[in-house]
Amino acid sequence: MATRSLPFLILAMIGLLIANLMFGAVSIPFKQILAGLQTGNEHYFTIHEYRLPRTILAMLVGAMMALAGALVQGVIRNPLASPDVLGVSHGAGLAAVFYMTFFPNADISWLPAVALVGSLVAALMLWWLCGSHSSTIKLAITGVALAALYASCIDFLMLVKPLEINNALLWLTGSLWGRGWNQLAMLLPWLLLIPFALWLAKPLNLIHLGDDSAISLGIKANKLRLASLAIAVGLTASCVAICGPIGFLGLVAPHLTRKLVGGRHQILLPATMLVGAILLLLADLVARTIDPPIELPAGIMTAIIGAPYFLWLLLRTK
Amino acid sequence: MISLRFSFFAQCLLLLLLLFACSWISLFSWSVITVTPADALHALYNMNQDSIAQHIVHDLRLPRVLVGIMVGANLAAAGVIMQGLTQNPLASPSVLGINAGAALGMASVSTIAPWFGLLGSSIAAIIGGGIAWAFVMLLGSAWRGGNEHGRLVLAGVAISALCAALTKAVIIIAEDQAAGVLTWLAGSLTDARWQTFDSLWPVCLIGLLGAMLIAPTLNLLQLGDDNARNLGVSLMWVKLGGSFLVLLLVGSAISSVGAIGFVGLLVPHMARMLAGQDHRKFLPIAMILGACLVVLSDTVSRGIIYPAETPAGAILALIGAPFFIYLVRKRTL
Repeated sequence: MATRSLPFLILAMIGLLIANLMFGAVSIPFKQILAGLQTGNEHYFTIHEYRLPRTILAMLVGAMMALAGALVQGVIRNPLASPDVLGVSHGAGLAAVFYMTFFPNADISWLPAVALVGSLVAALMLWWLCGSHSSTIKLAITGVALAALYASCIDFLMLVKPLEINNALLWLTGSLWGRGWNQLAMLLPWLLLIPFALWLAKPLNLIHLGDDSAISLGIKANKLRLASLAIAVGLTASCVAICGPIGFLGLVAPHLTRKLVGGRHQILLPATMLVGAILLLLADLVARTIDPPIELPAGIMTAIIGAPYFLWLLLRTK
Repeated sequence: MISLRFSFFAQCLLLLLLLFACSWISLFSWSVITVTPADALHALYNMNQDSIAQHIVHDLRLPRVLVGIMVGANLAAAGVIMQGLTQNPLASPSVLGINAGAALGMASVSTIAPWFGLLGSSIAAIIGGGIAWAFVMLLGSAWRGGNEHGRLVLAGVAISALCAALTKAVIIIAEDQAAGVLTWLAGSLTDARWQTFDSLWPVCLIGLLGAMLIAPTLNLLQLGDDNARNLGVSLMWVKLGGSFLVLLLVGSAISSVGAIGFVGLLVPHMARMLAGQDHRKFLPIAMILGACLVVLSDTVSRGIIYPAETPAGAILALIGAPFFIYLVRKRTL
């Protein structure tokens, strides 16, 4: 059952990739898309310069955020945990906005590193406030409160030093607006984290048996936790540096995937990446096509799907 | 006993003086055209028609301060009632989603059906807030009582996130460019005029009087639902009535100035520190404190990037969010 849904997920993702290239303010027929990749074609700008990088970014960012969520949920045995609920993504966003506001002439390519610092600080802050033995709900509330704090700081910085509104919404809710090849190039080095994460899959399975069993099976439980959280923070920070704190994606995708393929991390982690990519591609497609040429931030769409799901999880949590 | 009562009135008096001082400062500070402190007072009782400064005070600053006072009192009273009803120290209009729901109601009415006007928008705010509040109470299983504090808050936060996302979507789609969204969502007193004042004060008066009337019952609720019932409190009616009051207070406040947050969370705790646990005493103190807080943050919001203005709500969120974290950490959830 587990592997049977993988082909469907891959097909769905490819379908969405094509749909993302086809639809938008201008619809381009399927046959024209390949032609649009060549210079000189009438659709060259729309396809090659605008939609293609954005679609690839949506796929990668969705996959990475979902993977980060799966890692966090795998380590902290808490169904409500994910980088966005725990305030890590907003921490990264705040650091990025801070950097851009106060060093307007600085090099943009440092943004992922700055975001990484922010998300690390946010993670440490959460750990300092909660310690290692907090109840499910308390951890989630503290995370949410921290996220509210960072969001209000972002809000404040935005209002004091006004940016263009699409940019502002990008940093507050997460959006793929105006992202192109440059941002894609910034994200590429961080893809190296993915193999490391997948490599952790087997020990992550064992840690679910409980710490004692895992240790007797030769797993260094605390090192494993630290490693997966560090990877999750890195993935989150790099994504946030590119398209802002897109909410609820890291929370919803792993849960959905667990329903589809079960809890074995060897399958769960790759499948989560597919589901995350599908969700963000879908969110961005809807956000762009709902009322063209106006576009909504993709983060709004993920919140509209994700918040009810969060409520449902909350109802089921004991 | 006598000394207690005296100290309560003394506290009220001192806080009223503080409120007066805050308002006075707010009347003359940070103005592009110089307004002297004396101008601010003259404009109140003996206006010189030729002075531009006094016109500014009378036509712009005074309604703004008055609206700020009422909004602060409303939100603080709403916070007190909500914390009393749910027995949850984190309950407040912004945390439990009423602010976001009311904002969504207003945004959808003003964009989809703009002919309703100002009165319609406050009714929309009340309805939107009411729906959000009902959802939060049901999902957070608050009607069952007991130790579901954390769940209630998380339900509120999720509903807030949902409503905020929908609000942004509605506004962005309705207006071709969404420049006003951020200011409006943060809540600002910039657009408060005499017109706003006129539509706000009757609702405000009714709401605050209702809050004072319900205060003794809130004292009984503190004993726990079972004890309150034994003492003859009809829980359902109190909770329904209290919720209605909260919606009235929050809806009117938000429809006039936007979604100002965290006053309802912050102020009841400060008031409890000053006046103890008796709702009859700390409710009025909370109202005055809330008014002070909003007027003060409005004054500060004008000074931060003078001569441009920051929404007062953004400043309150900066103070309120750390306090929220502090409360989460202090209370065992």
